[in-house]
Amino acid sequence: MSKLEDDIGRVMAGHDGEAPRAADLLRALEQASPPRHRPGWYIPFMVAAAVAAVVAGSVWAGGQLGGRKQSPVSGAAIPVQRPLSCPASYAHQAPWVPAKPAGIDGRSRLVPQTTPGSALICAYRGSNTAKQQAGWALSGRRSLVGGLASLASQLTWKPHSPRQPLACTAVGGPQTNYLIGLAYPGGARIWIAATDEPNQCVASSNGEFTSSGIIGPAVSKAFASGRWPARTPVSCNRSYQDTGRLGQGTAMVPAGPTSVTICAPNARTRTLTSGYQTLVSALNRLPTRPSTHGCSGTPGPSGAYEIFFSFPEGPPVLVSILVGCHPAIGNGDLQATSASSVVPVIRQLLKPA
Amino acid sequence: MHLDDVLTELVEQSGDRLLRVAYQLTHDAAAAQDLVQEALLRVYRSVRHRGLAPEDWYAYLRRAVVNEYVRTRRLRSSTEIVTDVVPERPAAGCLEDRAADQAELWVALGALSERQRAVLVLRYYEGLADHEIAILLGCREATVRSLASRGLAAMRPLVAAVSAEEEQT
Repeated sequence: MSKLEDDIGRVMAGHDGEAPRAADLLRALEQASPPRHRPGWYIPFMVAAAVAAVVAGSVWAGGQLGGRKQSPVSGAAIPVQRPLSCPASYAHQAPWVPAKPAGIDGRSRLVPQTTPGSALICAYRGSNTAKQQAGWALSGRRSLVGGLASLASQLTWKPHSPRQPLACTAVGGPQTNYLIGLAYPGGARIWIAATDEPNQCVASSNGEFTSSGIIGPAVSKAFASGRWPARTPVSCNRSYQDTGRLGQGTAMVPAGPTSVTICAPNARTRTLTSGYQTLVSALNRLPTRPSTHGCSGTPGPSGAYEIFFSFPEGPPVLVSILVGCHPAIGNGDLQATSASSVVPVIRQLLKPA
Repeated sequence: MHLDDVLTELVEQSGDRLLRVAYQLTHDAAAAQDLVQEALLRVYRSVRHRGLAPEDWYAYLRRAVVNEYVRTRRLRSSTEIVTDVVPERPAAGCLEDRAADQAELWVALGALSERQRAVLVLRYYEGLADHEIAILLGCREATVRSLASRGLAAMRPLVAAVSAEEEQT
């Protein structure tokens, strides 16, 4: 054997200690949960296993791999725990994530409802007018020191991207692509791509779930302060509203609102914490279809109402009503043709008690 | 005993060895775990479907790991995870440091093609004979010798350069 071959063997052996351990693998397999066996292969497999050395005293009791109740953070394999680190560059056009969710069901929500153990934000600064929209270099990174529960509660309710593409303005300016890396106790992790740019029109994504919810400004705040910002209360006077909520693609008003704020013409506003169920019912009774994100003017009276339905956690749902436009009602994902049955209910709610 | 107990037992019996082989192949702890997990589940489903069980579980699973590595590495080449950690290279004047040489060799091993690396791992880490490697990879023994020879040839210039610089210092 040559010196090189000797060296190769030695180098390989020298890296033995860096390999993951069987205990890590067992934890991952627990999450992967292969399906239960069927009769027919169980017996021969068992006989073969009996030939193998028996490891006594296993803490993994029978049925645990196949029948364990799923935790909020579960699904695919959990990788070995190691610190999250920012990719050196943002490899593709936004939204892009360096890896799909691991140990997390990333298909049903942007992030799990569980509070992460740590959060890392990676920033990649550029311009939305740059010719090259991929390969932006890492410009900064920051580990969040607070607001992680807030982060989870806000992002977990972000809505799916609508089927129809959104119409966007085309304002040129600086753009920052962010990657938010979240790590959970037990080793699960997820990356979320978010972008802050003048048009607020780049979707957010975890690689499996893409959301039209705007989170870029919140990420910029978190990157600057080191804490995820608390959600801002609904206001009729604010130009930017963090609206859009999971479930608004199947119901005009998803279940569970705890208050409603009505912004009406002539600066009339009203917030109600009770007595608005008639409005919810009226909106959810309307025949709906996926939104086309636009309407055409029709003859007759006009007027605009913005109605915010707020929830204990996460962003509100904004239902816009444009009297004199067709279709007249939309929540971003769904639209309904006529507001004739809804406007009287709103007017009733706007009356002083 | 449940089937899942059997799978657990296999992991406890062979998991560490399989993970070490997988790490030699991937040079990445997370990728190694994914590789072994994929191979285990693949074997699990396959054996369940066919109702047959191998006599030597470790060899069977090792074969699954190596073939899964060779099969998936090409597929993953377009979706490699980008990292800002680059392998450290020995600084000029520090080549007498054996650790630096070993780091270079490790990096050079990582730069080989997947089949070359698989052959070298099976030959120098697992200590298999070429005919055994040929069976494992499903190729001819001559192919194994060729892959090993080309892999070593790719690494020799590096070792020669390091040795030459060592002699100068």
